[in-house]
Amino acid sequence: MEIPFVVNARKDTGLFNSKVGIWLFLASEVTLFGGLFSAYLFLRLYADYPWPERALPVLPGLINTFVLIASSVTVVFAWAALKMREWRKFQIYMWITLLCALLFLGLKGVEYKAKFDHQAVRISGGGPVEDFGILEGHVHYVKLDGDKLEEVPYENRHDEGVFPANRLIFKASDLTFALKRPAHEAYVDMILEQTPEGSSIKLVDDYVVDGETIMEKGTELSIDVLSDLEDSFLDARARDSKIRTQFEKASWAWIKNEQGVTDMSTYVVETDLWKDRRAADVVAYTPLMLSAAAEVAFKIEPPFNLVLDPDDTPRGLRTNEQVRLRDDTVVKGKMLDSPIIMGVDAIDFSYTAQRAELEDIDPMEVIKTSWILTHEAAHHDGDGHAEEGSGKADHRNDFKKAWDCHTAWLKYETERLKEDGRVPTDNDKYRVNWDQMLAYKKLDYDPEAVYNAAKADDGSLYSTHLFDPSGFAGANHKKYEFPHIEIPRDKIGFESTFTPKWNTYYAIYFVITGLHGLHVIGGALVLGYYLFFGRKMYESNPEWLANRVEVGGLFWHFVDLVWIFLFPILYLM
Amino acid sequence: MADSPEEINKKKKLYMVIGGLLFVFTAITVMVATFEPLDFGEHGFDHVDAIIGLAIAAFKASLVMLIFMHLNHEKKLIYFIYGLGLVMAFFCMALIGWAKFDPIRFGNWEHADGFYNPEKPATKPDH
Repeated sequence: MEIPFVVNARKDTGLFNSKVGIWLFLASEVTLFGGLFSAYLFLRLYADYPWPERALPVLPGLINTFVLIASSVTVVFAWAALKMREWRKFQIYMWITLLCALLFLGLKGVEYKAKFDHQAVRISGGGPVEDFGILEGHVHYVKLDGDKLEEVPYENRHDEGVFPANRLIFKASDLTFALKRPAHEAYVDMILEQTPEGSSIKLVDDYVVDGETIMEKGTELSIDVLSDLEDSFLDARARDSKIRTQFEKASWAWIKNEQGVTDMSTYVVETDLWKDRRAADVVAYTPLMLSAAAEVAFKIEPPFNLVLDPDDTPRGLRTNEQVRLRDDTVVKGKMLDSPIIMGVDAIDFSYTAQRAELEDIDPMEVIKTSWILTHEAAHHDGDGHAEEGSGKADHRNDFKKAWDCHTAWLKYETERLKEDGRVPTDNDKYRVNWDQMLAYKKLDYDPEAVYNAAKADDGSLYSTHLFDPSGFAGANHKKYEFPHIEIPRDKIGFESTFTPKWNTYYAIYFVITGLHGLHVIGGALVLGYYLFFGRKMYESNPEWLANRVEVGGLFWHFVDLVWIFLFPILYLM
Repeated sequence: MADSPEEINKKKKLYMVIGGLLFVFTAITVMVATFEPLDFGEHGFDHVDAIIGLAIAAFKASLVMLIFMHLNHEKKLIYFIYGLGLVMAFFCMALIGWAKFDPIRFGNWEHADGFYNPEKPATKPDH
């Protein structure tokens, strides 16, 4: 059957049908993205934390903008080539379009990867506003040496027993599984994988149902054992509930037929007649119940150190003596020191400052009391760098040194801006960015040198710039060495990589760019179909193919259109 | 719709020019946001930069819509359909206004920016 109006226009609309179709679709897309932009606006206008302004590296976003614009031009050229019946040119332009799509997605991948690898920690406790200082950086890699963590070089991160230093180390001695949650495989796998040779995990007591021993005491934990236990528990529970249902059915029949209650509305259950009958039921059926244990306990001997992702046992579910995993498995034992060890590429006190301002306290005074600046460095670099003229050893940690330099830089920046009647932004004031961290380190953390270098403005301060490929998608931890920190677990208020969990900015960033990325993939698939499977149609009905490409191109332009707004909003504002 | 080869060839030149314009205005957006002598309004990002950035984006978007998507000469039906989408998108944006007119209020609201602090006394301390 011939599809009508795919080549020629309909008389009433003056358009071929697929064009009306794509525009209807695009109108719905405008509404969809409109809703998401609206969500962005809402989150930003009503954020109760300092919104991360201009937080993303501009260069990848800028290149992606150029790439999408270029592909918009080539897709329209591809359509024009088809109109002129130039198949070869069509192929070339379409290939370029597809390569642009691929490049765009590749760059997006690089950006996403940088976010997933970038750790943020919000410090908690102490000071008038509960600290709220934020450290950003890359987590180092460690392995367990007995109960202690030992750092391993980045290159060895894939070695056995090596894990990122943001994990919880828990000396596990007892395990209790909740049998009513039959989805333990993931965690049992994880626990068994980590069980060292010589340690065993054995059932503490016989598991007995209805007088029959289902599993004997001392049985070693495995997924099969656990699923057998789950099966027996669930069978027993099903039988129990069947008995209870039978009793309840009998009671309903009794109250209706023998007591003559004909109004079977829900109010029947409120009457004493019903309540007494049900109480008698419970007495009658309780001895018939199997009442299989809903939990089984295993003993770990000798106890070993379990390495847990903090996401496996959220804060509310853990204490120093026990952790509860997401599948309701309870692990008892002892939490060991589980610091987050990382190289810090940025210090951000803007949250602290915001909270201080709300309390009418000078932010700079509050920042001075932050744990970040006051803690004793565990890995003190021990160069004994003395403050000039004081003659005393320098006990400041690297972050305090960097902050002192930042204060010096800020002093100059404030003076400079004052000449034009301007003031530094909160970002200028409260955030030490990665390029600044490097600059201060380069000048040996000497505040005076920083002030002079900033004043000289001869480029001696920064070793990097906006278009420096070494900072393409963020701080480059392979090339530069950043100050090292060990943050004790009890100082960590909140920690996350730069994923939706960190804050609403990254939540909306990933939602919108993720959806946009899916549009790029979808568009590329359709355009690719025309390129690779269009030859036959080109030979039989070239005008139809041209119309198809026009429609696909309209979608592609729309994808470009969305990015034209996304780029400034997410990267530059 | 441009259908004859001559017209399409003419169009191709226009597409190139528009593509070039889009490149240029993208560069301008970045310059305005990152190059200090071009930083309008307050130092750093503020509403002036937001307006400039969005205005450039809107201009670029209209170039794409008018030229690449051929909305400069299209049938009435298309304008109606697309217009409807734009109205809906605008409506979505306007919806967040409700939050402005209908804030959740409880406890001590000392500050106009709306932070709730149960610990805070209802009035500012005298210092």
